[in-house]
Amino acid sequence: MSQYGMIIDLNRCVGCHACSVACRAEWNVPIGKDSEDRVRRRSWVERLGPTETPKGLAYTYYPGLCNHCDKPSCVEVCPADTVSMTFTGKDGTTKTMDVAATWKDPFDGSVQIDKERCIGCGACAEACPYTARYMNEDGDEPKADKCTFCVERIALGGEPACVQTCLAGARIFGDVSDPDSAVSAYIKKGAVRLESAAVKLGPNVRYFGKERDLYLLDKTSTPQELAQINQRRLLMAHLSKKTSRHLQGMGLLGMAALWMKSKEQDSDRTE
Amino acid sequence: MAVKMTRRRFLQSTGCAAAVLPFANLVKADDSFVKYPYVSPGSMAGTQTVTGGICEMCFWRCQVVGKVRDGKLVKLEGNPKSIDNGKSLCARGNAGVKLLYDPDRLKYPLKNIGKRGAPKWKRISWDEALDECATRLKATIDKYGPQGITIFPHGSSAVYPMHFFEHVIGTPNNSEASFFQCRGARDLAYLATLGVPAGEEVDMANAKVIFLLGSHLGENVHVSHLKRYLKGLENGAKLIVVDPRFSAAAAKADVWVKIKPGTDTAFLLAIMNYLAENEKYNVEYVDDNGDGFDDFCEGIAHASLSWAAKICDVPEAQIKQVADMLSADMPHVAIHPGRHTSWYGNDFQRERAMACLTGMLGAIGTVGGFVRPIGPKLGRFSWPTPMKEHAEEYSLRKLAKVHKFSPPGTPTDLIRNAALSGQPYPIKAMVTWGQNPIQTVPNQAQTIAMLEQMDFVLVCDVMPTDITMYADILLPEVSYLERYDYIKRGTQWDFAEEHQQYIAARMPLVAPETKDHERKDSVWITNELAKRMGYGEHIKAKTAEEMVDIMLAGAKPPLSLKQLRAEDGIHLQEGEDPYDVELDVVFYSEALEEAGYPPVPTYTEVPQPPAGYARLVYGRLPVHTFNRTQNNVWLHQESTLNPVWLNEQSAKKMGLKDGDMVELVNDQGVKSRTATVVKVTPGIRSDTVYMAHGYGSMNPALTVGVGAGVDDQSLISNPSIDPETGTHGMRNNFVRFIKDGKELSIPA
Amino acid sequence: MAMEKPVDNAGTRLAEILRFLAAAMEYPQRSWLTPPYWAALEGLLHEIGSNSADAMLPSYPASPEQLECLQVEHTRLFINAVPHVIAPPYGSVYLDGDGMLYGASAERAKAFYRQENFELRGSHDIPDYLGHELRFVALLLEQGREEAAELFLRQCFRPWFGSFYQRVSRESRHPYYVVLVSLIDFFTEEEEDHGS
Repeated sequence: MSQYGMIIDLNRCVGCHACSVACRAEWNVPIGKDSEDRVRRRSWVERLGPTETPKGLAYTYYPGLCNHCDKPSCVEVCPADTVSMTFTGKDGTTKTMDVAATWKDPFDGSVQIDKERCIGCGACAEACPYTARYMNEDGDEPKADKCTFCVERIALGGEPACVQTCLAGARIFGDVSDPDSAVSAYIKKGAVRLESAAVKLGPNVRYFGKERDLYLLDKTSTPQELAQINQRRLLMAHLSKKTSRHLQGMGLLGMAALWMKSKEQDSDRTE
Repeated sequence: MAVKMTRRRFLQSTGCAAAVLPFANLVKADDSFVKYPYVSPGSMAGTQTVTGGICEMCFWRCQVVGKVRDGKLVKLEGNPKSIDNGKSLCARGNAGVKLLYDPDRLKYPLKNIGKRGAPKWKRISWDEALDECATRLKATIDKYGPQGITIFPHGSSAVYPMHFFEHVIGTPNNSEASFFQCRGARDLAYLATLGVPAGEEVDMANAKVIFLLGSHLGENVHVSHLKRYLKGLENGAKLIVVDPRFSAAAAKADVWVKIKPGTDTAFLLAIMNYLAENEKYNVEYVDDNGDGFDDFCEGIAHASLSWAAKICDVPEAQIKQVADMLSADMPHVAIHPGRHTSWYGNDFQRERAMACLTGMLGAIGTVGGFVRPIGPKLGRFSWPTPMKEHAEEYSLRKLAKVHKFSPPGTPTDLIRNAALSGQPYPIKAMVTWGQNPIQTVPNQAQTIAMLEQMDFVLVCDVMPTDITMYADILLPEVSYLERYDYIKRGTQWDFAEEHQQYIAARMPLVAPETKDHERKDSVWITNELAKRMGYGEHIKAKTAEEMVDIMLAGAKPPLSLKQLRAEDGIHLQEGEDPYDVELDVVFYSEALEEAGYPPVPTYTEVPQPPAGYARLVYGRLPVHTFNRTQNNVWLHQESTLNPVWLNEQSAKKMGLKDGDMVELVNDQGVKSRTATVVKVTPGIRSDTVYMAHGYGSMNPALTVGVGAGVDDQSLISNPSIDPETGTHGMRNNFVRFIKDGKELSIPA
Repeated sequence: MAMEKPVDNAGTRLAEILRFLAAAMEYPQRSWLTPPYWAALEGLLHEIGSNSADAMLPSYPASPEQLECLQVEHTRLFINAVPHVIAPPYGSVYLDGDGMLYGASAERAKAFYRQENFELRGSHDIPDYLGHELRFVALLLEQGREEAAELFLRQCFRPWFGSFYQRVSRESRHPYYVVLVSLIDFFTEEEEDHGS
């Protein structure tokens, strides 16, 4: 199995924001915030500093995107009905898995969303400690949205839109499981993941740069705790996982009924 | 609206019968729709790549392609054939789509039937608009002469009308923002020293040392320019950055010189004096190509390291360190001339010092130095010049015998002063084309007073920028994505690579005509105006396409739009080696001496902030160029405000914290119209505050950009004029903050 | 709008009226803003029995000053204005998050045109321009495609027209446009007494 990953080389990055805007154009990502106050974005650049660090004065950037984690916290909370899905690798081998509306691809390691089946509950967006997901509420129904590593472009022989537009060559995309890839070379050189003691999900976006810049990036941008997910949603997520076979037939209507019931219980409690 | 009956009942009623209400006869034939043959949706899923785009979200002009799906431009990308920007674009380039589809864009000719500054617009036809412009401009010429008209142009679409007004009508009063509020002092100083304008083609990609004085590369973004810079850093070039602020470039630097603003020339003189005294300069190059070097050395002999250290508030050892670094790797040293250089009103002298330092290091025409790439030839296109002598006779700087090293046109303040005083002659009509003098020119109150005394104000633009509020007639122009006009040419960005040249003529990526507007291009507008004013005989190109084809035909071998279309928008040809060119270096300038200016680069002290105020310096955020980009929803989202940088020690004393909202007021009592957020940082000197330009638009018709952040120009009410060039120095303005209605002093 | 066709040719009549209203929303010029036009408008108001709107509509703007007044108001409402244009006549300004032209909703309108075998003549025309949408509905009605017309109104037109209508009726300084958008509202809204 391979694992797509990205390196952000902060020594090259000039913080021009082209990646964010190219992503917006590529995927028609809406501006503004969602109803949970999350900025609606798939890719972003935050400007950090100048701030004094133990390693000297630092002024750098946090170009962020979905980390397509090894153990994605967003996938397991998805309460949508599972379906059996067959994935095909580059060599033609296939693998069939039961997946909800978001899953980790067994061949390229990217985390994807099926917009058709997404029920718009927002649990995945809440579960991501990097706020890499947002809810697009512009359509008839809300849908979770995030970076796909542009697998749709890659399938057509392209590269991720952010990588293509980057004037600095600061975004390096490739297969981290291939020891000869450019991303692996960066990992050997010491590219780091934004992980903390409490948040170890195995993010596949890594950052390379001067000590002082990485220090500032880590201090400002590494999540220190896993998100507290709305208990009701979590409960539903577990319910649907554990008993998915039984719930299959009930589908969304059943979910809605459960939802209403838990809501009533909530209001009973408050009264 | 209370209605008694339902629609269906009404439609079935007799009152509705055709005989009673003959709607059909009243409505003209409808041509909005044609019958569409059904095609399976599959074939419409993809996009078509349209080539030939040239970006103009800034003026570097990257080559782009449009991804068009079914008539809608969905994305802009770098043209993969480009040897300049390649497949890359910056944030602004990527966001061009949102300019195209901005509902705030100008759509029809408008007539102001209200007041200037508080316009009441009435849509009028092109015929009416052009007739009125022609009549009123003619009236100005009849009453005051051609010099009674002034033009404020900016951008590639403004070139054709600018030359019409200068050459055919014969007014010398052309205030080009790109010269008088930007690059003029730099180019004239290099011309006076090295015989060529500076440009920004310095060979950073192959340099061993890159020296930036105030240039904040990274915050200021031009794609191929940054590629050179980053290639140099990748190759191990040492980076020296001189800036009162820890800029994006300083963050990548080996040496950051935290200089006191306004003292750069003293810093440069001390370096040159040290190099001369210790014979650490390029003796061979100077002996072969130097002019007046001994007199020059004598003239800067006072500039000791300790003298400069005191003036610049920089350790003596650091000045020596910089000088030694430059010397150690000469001649492969990239002394960047800068771009926006109209800072303090002593800018010509500073740029002279930059050019002399380049010469002392012999960093000319050599790998890593000041290199002038050899671009492809093009045919010339211009209006005839029947009024050339008249224009020269009425040149304000010639009449006043000032600014003898001015860039082309007339320094802005001479125009504004003449307009305001009526001396030496009245200026009564103003034409603004693509420029927004409100945010470009210092002292907004005076600019507005100038506008108010005009008999006629004509503005042509794409967006309702601030200046459009002052127009009598406002003309809507097509955007850079919908027109022909400019031909971008150059070479491969890395001079060490195979020598190539490119020619790329701008072509529309989407059709300019749609049913809901009547925008036109500047060639059509100017020609129509010329005909109505009686200058039709001088028109050489009937359309923008024809103008471009005339220029392309002069390429060697000749080119055409047709051929460029067949070549995906970019013509590539073999290039020439730009290295091994020597330029004479005028160290001691007799020409300057004769004109009454210092013949040797000279440091002049700049005004200092009064107690409780800090110097306002400004620069860029990479997401904005100016007023026109500020209304872009994607760019706005990236950086909604322009934070004002404040030293953390000062902030502590002032009781301010990062993220507080403040207004600003300058030492002349001019207040910002809006507020912005404070960025508290150790990365700036305590005598200086900094903010990005291109924010705080005042025209509410820019519904996204209006009032977002603070307009730095609104606080620059006291310009200093550079004596040699007449360009505006804009960094001698001092501010303090207002928080919750209370003025806060900024401790030094 | 469940019309029993071909009763009294109501679809064709509605089509004529929508074309008439689309034309009326164009820039006021003497070439078409004639006494017969005005009489037709008055007649229309009278026939649908709208007393308030009838009373609201001023007399025919015969003088150049009256015409200019309308022109200035049209410019202010729909083209450009300081402080800002009131109601740009494009759907996606109201429907899509960023308020820009040619948003996703405009593409949906275009897809609808396609589905019904129509294509805009201007290849780069903004599809959800008010005039285009009204004329499209008229075309459908003329072809006896009432259901498609109803579907288009419900899916594409009404979702934004409500906000547009609100802005114009709230902000307009000239009753003419309040009357016009009210009429468009009346002739495009979903009828409550479905099938009765």
